[in-house]
Amino acid sequence: MLGLLLKKLHFQRKNQNSKKASVQHSSPICLSKNLDENLQLLKEALGQSSDVIIRDMKISSNSNVDAAIIYIDGLVDRNLVNHDILQPLMLNLQLIKENVSQNHSSLIDFIKSSVLTVGQIIVADDIDRVISDVLAGHTAILVEGVTQALLIDAKGWKSRSLEEAKNELAIRGPRIGFNETLRTNTALLRRIIRDPRLTIESLQIGERSKTEIAIVYIKGIIKDSLIDEIEQRLKRISADAILDVGYIEQYIEDNPLSVFSTIGNSERPDVTAARVLEGRAAILVDGSPFALTVPMLFIEGFQSPEDYYARPHYASFLRWIRFLAFALSVYLPAIYVALMSFHQELLPSPLLITVAAAKEGIPLPVGIEAIFMIILFEILREAGLRMPRTLGQAVSIVGALVIGQSAVSAGLVGAPMVVVLATTAIASFVAPSQADLGALLRILVVIVAGFLGLFGVVIISVEILSYLASLRSLGVPYLSPVTPLDIRSLKDTFIRAPLWAMDSRPASLDPNDTRRQSPDQMPQAPKTKSGKRERQ
Amino acid sequence: MLLEKGKISNFQLSALIIGFVFGSSVIISPGGGAGHDAWIAVALGLMEGLLIAWIFTALSKQFKGKTIIEISSLVYGKIPGKCISVLFIWYLFHLGAMVLNNYVRFFKLEVYPATPKIVILLLIMLICASTVGRGIEVLARCSVILVPLTVLIAFTDILLVIPHMDLNNLKPVLDVPIGILLWAAHGAASFPFAETIAFLMVLAFVDKPEKGPSAVSGGLLIAGFILIIVAARNTAVLGQMDEIVNYPSFLNAQVIDIGDMLTRFEVVVAINLIAMGFIKVAVLFYGTVLGLAQVFNLRSYRTIILPVGILMAILTCTNVGSTLEMFDFAKNAYPIYAVPFQIGIPLVTLIVAKLRKLPQTGGDKV
Amino acid sequence: MKRRLCSKISAVILLIILSVLLSGCWDSIEMNKLSIVSGLGWDINPDTGEVTLTYQSIIPSQIKSPSGTSGGGEQKGIGTLQTIQLDHSTGSSPYDALNRYTQHGSRIPFYQHTQIYAFGKDGAEKGIYGFLDTIARNPVSRPNVLMVVSEKKASDILEIQSGMESIQAFGMAAEIKLSAEYSKYPAVTNLEFSNRLMSKTTAPIATMVGTFEENGAEGKKIQKIRITGTAVFKEDKMIGELNERESSGLLWTIDKIKKGFVILPEASLEIVKAKSKIVPELQNDKIKITVQIDEESNLLEYKGHQNMTTDILQGLEKDQAKEIESQVMTAVEKSFSLNADVFGFGEAVHRKYKKEWKDLKPRWNEIYPRIEVAVKVKTHLNEIGDVNKALMKH
Repeated sequence: MLGLLLKKLHFQRKNQNSKKASVQHSSPICLSKNLDENLQLLKEALGQSSDVIIRDMKISSNSNVDAAIIYIDGLVDRNLVNHDILQPLMLNLQLIKENVSQNHSSLIDFIKSSVLTVGQIIVADDIDRVISDVLAGHTAILVEGVTQALLIDAKGWKSRSLEEAKNELAIRGPRIGFNETLRTNTALLRRIIRDPRLTIESLQIGERSKTEIAIVYIKGIIKDSLIDEIEQRLKRISADAILDVGYIEQYIEDNPLSVFSTIGNSERPDVTAARVLEGRAAILVDGSPFALTVPMLFIEGFQSPEDYYARPHYASFLRWIRFLAFALSVYLPAIYVALMSFHQELLPSPLLITVAAAKEGIPLPVGIEAIFMIILFEILREAGLRMPRTLGQAVSIVGALVIGQSAVSAGLVGAPMVVVLATTAIASFVAPSQADLGALLRILVVIVAGFLGLFGVVIISVEILSYLASLRSLGVPYLSPVTPLDIRSLKDTFIRAPLWAMDSRPASLDPNDTRRQSPDQMPQAPKTKSGKRERQ
Repeated sequence: MLLEKGKISNFQLSALIIGFVFGSSVIISPGGGAGHDAWIAVALGLMEGLLIAWIFTALSKQFKGKTIIEISSLVYGKIPGKCISVLFIWYLFHLGAMVLNNYVRFFKLEVYPATPKIVILLLIMLICASTVGRGIEVLARCSVILVPLTVLIAFTDILLVIPHMDLNNLKPVLDVPIGILLWAAHGAASFPFAETIAFLMVLAFVDKPEKGPSAVSGGLLIAGFILIIVAARNTAVLGQMDEIVNYPSFLNAQVIDIGDMLTRFEVVVAINLIAMGFIKVAVLFYGTVLGLAQVFNLRSYRTIILPVGILMAILTCTNVGSTLEMFDFAKNAYPIYAVPFQIGIPLVTLIVAKLRKLPQTGGDKV
Repeated sequence: MKRRLCSKISAVILLIILSVLLSGCWDSIEMNKLSIVSGLGWDINPDTGEVTLTYQSIIPSQIKSPSGTSGGGEQKGIGTLQTIQLDHSTGSSPYDALNRYTQHGSRIPFYQHTQIYAFGKDGAEKGIYGFLDTIARNPVSRPNVLMVVSEKKASDILEIQSGMESIQAFGMAAEIKLSAEYSKYPAVTNLEFSNRLMSKTTAPIATMVGTFEENGAEGKKIQKIRITGTAVFKEDKMIGELNERESSGLLWTIDKIKKGFVILPEASLEIVKAKSKIVPELQNDKIKITVQIDEESNLLEYKGHQNMTTDILQGLEKDQAKEIESQVMTAVEKSFSLNADVFGFGEAVHRKYKKEWKDLKPRWNEIYPRIEVAVKVKTHLNEIGDVNKALMKH
């Protein structure tokens, strides 16, 4: 069976390779001097789509030079095209008395330098480039007798306005979240970090989607080899389309088969900026309101943006609450199952009697009961999530009634089981980024507990720990800074030290510049006596 | 050809040593036979263990970055060196099987009377094997998490049982004849302190070898200190029952009862046992497979994990017939059986190396 | 790379298959297949020597859940046992009896929550080693179970509802623990009993429990249980018992006084703090034991109609010391007459004179009754309560 699997993998890999080869063979075609020929080529390439607009016109003072502009309706800002491209070309050019139109190539330079009143203009001489840029929302100008095209950035399409981040909520701190436009997102980051060394590298990935990807990092902080590694991994991707950062995540992970996510993500610019400042890199994808951040440490799942805005004591306390909640959400049903069906001796006697009374007359074995309830809960959760908002209410009512009341009063499920499951469910929402992971682990651990009791639970936990310890996220050990231990970085793990105490960036990320701030910034009361003297 | 590319830090080495020493001593208290002076026996055993640790760390310091397998073929020549290596590997292998046996018998007797031994055994073997396959680095990282947790639990265990202690149980001090005490002390040295000889396979991968000895003795001291407290605690709580029960620490945890609710803590002993036994078996297992790979010049030790694991499981199932036999061997035969491996091999190798003035190129050539 | 991937997959698959197929659930047992034994009684038939075990098990369906059906309390009839069930099984040895339980039980007995091991007096006098060995050897027993000797048969005290607890054995255990907390009678656990047994010289003790009748409503007689004394064993055989006063003396000597009261003819005192120490002295084969007791107390009652003065306080302290001394001495005399070292004097000598002990230990039975015991009590009266003058003066 394994051999078969191996062969299958081989086959797939081969297929991919051959496909890649066939795509990459074509060499760039240059633009010709003939405008009609160029237009013909473009029409062929862009097809008969109704949203491709090709507008012929005559420019230059005596209206004798043929030209055309090409754009895709909907992707460009129509106002901009009409007022700042068509109008200058067709009207203003006429006003210019000097006859520059004799030389066509100088005409295009003239247009670029003196006529068009738009910001970004690229000169291209390769037809593929023209096509891809037009498809990305540029407006192209082709002029008769010129082998170059002007590509004007006049993008303008409808996008969602910036809204509050929906999933990573914080009571204190900024509210804004990313949206689907790459430029907006990079601008959000740039607005937070005005360091000139903040670098935004662009890449295009996707054979068909040609999605714009940006790698954001700060030169001088990030480890140099990390950027090379990220670029290398990104360039290896050869997929049809990249629809979301989730696609990228799966292509660049270190341990693609792991249930643990080794790539972080965030929908908040402040969180992304903080991670970039710590020496990580962010990957933004056009069309996705999330940013990937690499490398990711396991501890990040338990850090919330609010930790850094709230007071340190409470933030540290909340950290522990999150650890506890995660542990509960994974282990509580398993421990309950193990105690109820293997280790009745471990319950304190009064508790045992109460539980025994509740268990009396329940037909299902407790392990099956637990799995049944967990799956029921997951179904309810998924239903509540996917349902139209208006129906969500109905689901929660049915769920509460079915699980909470009827099952118990009908004697199908014990009341303690419902308590356990409800606690688990609530606890699993405390660290939302770990919720899906928690759900999988929970089922695994419950099954093991049902078969082997606490021994099995501990065995599987040690195995999970050993597995976690072997994971890496872009070369950084996943469990650092706890193991391998880095005492200085522990300031931001089990506790959240006051900001003035966190002088260095996390050492496990191995940043070029480890110093985050000047040390000894603990606020102190002004030295009254000496201070007074100085003033006098 | 490097078989192991990982490097571990000195802190991780200390953690591994602590976990290793705890290993099965979580349930089988060392120093048994000395009655209520067990803690003195453990303390004396710790001293002997430190001496032995001094010998083998000196050896490993002499040959930086080399395991005992490479050292012995350097010191004794190719063929005799390999013979000695095989003997040493046998010791690790056999010790691993014995630890597994402790493990399995404990669970079979106290927690899972109906579950077949082989299931418990296989599951423990599986987690050890998978971790060994991931390399020494991962094992060391696991120990950094598991060991502090265990130490914490052990201290909680001690704190909670204080109300049940009767220090009179420890008196009179030095009650047993000196001969028996020394024998028990040697027993405590051979199990568990001097068993750290297995780290001759691990010391080669420490990133700062010059600090290796202090990391080893530091780990031994911490673990020994806790074991002394545990031995004293068991006697103070259990009195004379301590001498006749098989697993005093387990019984000790059963005694805990604070306000009828904070009670029935024996499960933590079992959890500690799984965690620490895991480290011990994994280190021994790792030593065995890495040693075999080095002796037979294999390209990777990972290929022999499965066969060696199966052999170890078979030895575990067959080497002793009953718990009584197991304890009998541990008390009477093991302290002698272990001497050639724990003291003989490292000491003789060190002396021969000094006589032959090895390594000739100096310590800096790794 | 691909190979590693495959080996990982195979390891995971192997792990899952193994844990599912190989494991099964041998040791898994549902709670509603267990009969939770709360108390275990042990009797011996003097004629045949057969052992009868009495199981007091909990009936979970009878336990009222707090939010459950209301009015469950209305049928709390007198003497009827709703929450527990008694079963008896007889065999030639404890385990034989245990084995025979399966002939008439529907659930597997579960001993880990047993609170009480009760012995019938007749059985205890014949020796309980068989039972002790069974529970020590068997991993299902716990060290904290209380050892109780019943005045008649073990089954008698296991069936009488006592205390406010819904489970009888829990109630009895709570009663014994309360009396130990207030320093009336010792509460002896299985572990302590075994330790005393192992020491050869120290005599094991256990709580003695008896029944008495009380007039209830509607002229009915209500059976209740009460702690009546301390059973004293010589090795594994019961040889006698200490009464209330002697039990107190025992507790004073072995440093088990926590709270409690000292009742004098003219006043009652509450013990706040107490500490005792056994100091042995060996003078050419004569053993002298000094019991040093330090005690602090508060005044609770005073019958003399006088204002409190330091003289009166000192007088009370002296009387108190005398009372404690006499309690200890009665206990000592009783133990001499039984020739049972309930105080652990032997171990105290062992602790101090470990060389001589080797010689003394085999002859302890002869030496013990001839030990000279002195009691030194230091008492201190701390507080006199909220009034400092008498309410009514003569």
